[in-house]
Amino acid sequence: MAEYFSARGLPVPRELERNPLTDWRRLSVIAAAILVFYIGLRITNPDFSRANPEYAANVIGQLLHWDLRILTPQNEFETFWDTAEGLMVATIFLGIVATGFSILVALPLSFLGARNIMSGHPVTAAIYIFVRFFFTVIRSIDVLIVVIIFGVLIGIGTAAGVVGLAFHNVGVLGKLYSEAIEGIDAGPLEAITATGANRFQVIWTAVLPQIVNPYISFTIYRLDANVRLAPILGYVGGGGIGVLLFQSIQLLQYGAAGLIIFMIVVTVAAMDFASAQIRKRLV
Amino acid sequence: MQGRRDRPAASFFHRLPLVAAVLSIQNLVKVYPSGTRAIDDVTLDIQHGEFVVLIGLSGSGKSSLLRCINRLVEPTSGRVIFEGADITRARGGELRRIRRRIGMIFQQFNLVRRTSVLSNTLAGRLGYRSALRTIIGRPSREDVAAAFENLGRVGIADKAFARADALSGGQQQRVGIARALMQHPELMLADEPVASLDPATSHSVMKYLEEINKKDGITVICSLHFLSLARRYGTRVIALKAGKIAFDGQPDDIDERRFKEIYGEDAVEVEIGPGRSTESMSAAEAAALALAQDSTTAAAKLGLPDR
Ligand SMILES: Nc1ncnc2c1ncn2[C@@H]1O[C@H](COP(=O)(O)OP(=O)(O)OP(=O)(O)O)[C@@H](O)[C@H]1O
Ligand SMILES: [Mg+2]
Repeated sequence: MAEYFSARGLPVPRELERNPLTDWRRLSVIAAAILVFYIGLRITNPDFSRANPEYAANVIGQLLHWDLRILTPQNEFETFWDTAEGLMVATIFLGIVATGFSILVALPLSFLGARNIMSGHPVTAAIYIFVRFFFTVIRSIDVLIVVIIFGVLIGIGTAAGVVGLAFHNVGVLGKLYSEAIEGIDAGPLEAITATGANRFQVIWTAVLPQIVNPYISFTIYRLDANVRLAPILGYVGGGGIGVLLFQSIQLLQYGAAGLIIFMIVVTVAAMDFASAQIRKRLV
Repeated sequence: MQGRRDRPAASFFHRLPLVAAVLSIQNLVKVYPSGTRAIDDVTLDIQHGEFVVLIGLSGSGKSSLLRCINRLVEPTSGRVIFEGADITRARGGELRRIRRRIGMIFQQFNLVRRTSVLSNTLAGRLGYRSALRTIIGRPSREDVAAAFENLGRVGIADKAFARADALSGGQQQRVGIARALMQHPELMLADEPVASLDPATSHSVMKYLEEINKKDGITVICSLHFLSLARRYGTRVIALKAGKIAFDGQPDDIDERRFKEIYGEDAVEVEIGPGRSTESMSAAEAAALALAQDSTTAAAKLGLPDR
């Protein structure tokens, strides 16, 4: 290829000049990656010496030997909501309720976080920057950390799970919603503005019809993600079926733990299927 | 409401009856944040009932000028006076009350694609509605009747309940006209309204503009790519070149020399006589368009089968 250019007296494009085997930049990137991996291995120093195949096989056996007692109330103080399936249902709704709260906050905020809505005036432009910064900050704190923090602030339990999950999702949904608004066709906005409509009417008439579909699709995506996340939250003080899983593992009740893990897997798979179906219908 | 300023002598040039200008643009300048001087000290008066065609190369500032008139684009300096009201000074509700008297149609039609033709048409009344009524109220009986009437005028009343994006380009542009007519405009701005349409459809859309100009007495300012359309429909042609007025006068006064002044020395005039097939016509038009969009120097003149 390089000859094509040199034969015609043209400068050879730089991409063609480089030989991949001797290109020092490419080689140094590969060398750096290997070095980082090696250093990481030395620092983490994974110790497999305590792993015992026989013990592991034994635990797997216990996990598969399901303890069905967790499916029924064990004494007169327990109700359906103390059984594993009751907790599973409550956990699914924990994800749904958290999504609902995050929609309530993210939906109005997303308009304030959309550049095309907020540009044109210094005050609104400043609000835009602030809102997007807010979304980025709360999104960057991992959901488990958020739930731990709320567990400390408002007490361990479902409330911390709901509020923590919702808080994190305001950042995620807010960003997705805002970007959906920024992605709309600006033409209708211009045309509706030209009729003498005010900002609010422009949003209602020209923006909303364009964002309904992406909003629904993003919301289902987050609902799906949140219902999958909810079972884990119990591990960090967020309530739900995760608490039961945590307790049974602490108490070495692997028969109960195995059944709970199975229930979570089935729920997540069902959720996966359902959300795929709903989204397929919508688009 | 009429402008009481002394009009410059230039307006006599158009040999039009001496009436107050519907629109008066004074020393208008638009400099984009990028530093582009899109409008460079433009001063002109437009009289009631004129059909002004704006021509000029791509990038000469046609869209910027039209958008400065209703302040979709914020002018950098200068004034725009509409029926005696200074648009450039107007704020908030005052600006919106002026905007609703100025209709606008666009090259890309700019309909809300996912909603019905009827809703799109009714949107022309928004400037007369409160925000609250937009949300909770149903459109009034009179507005719906007016929407059907205006859709009927542009020949698509039967499409009222179709989704806007199910319509052809020519039909969408006619919805655009109906929407603008809902405003009861005194001035109609059209930014390359037919640039996305084939020649035959272009004429049908231009004829509706001509009709509202002649019958309703609505002043029209319309930017066009094709000189033949400008000659056919314009009562006055204003050519822009690098944001300045390069020509302002009667369509027939654009001779070879003026043409080259506007479009550059290498400009080619493409002429297609009547009787050609639509196919060869659109191919030639495509070539002409490609030339025109080449932006440095090119223009096209399309003589289309007769009116
Ligand atoms: N939003 C913008 N930001 C920066 N520069 C712009 C903007 N809009 C237009 N311009 C520049 O201003 C100049 C005039 O553009 P304008 O769109 O008004 O020209 P036009 O005559 O309508 O061209 P066309 O025939 O291609 O539509 C061009 O140089 C263009 O690049
Ligand atoms: Mg333009």
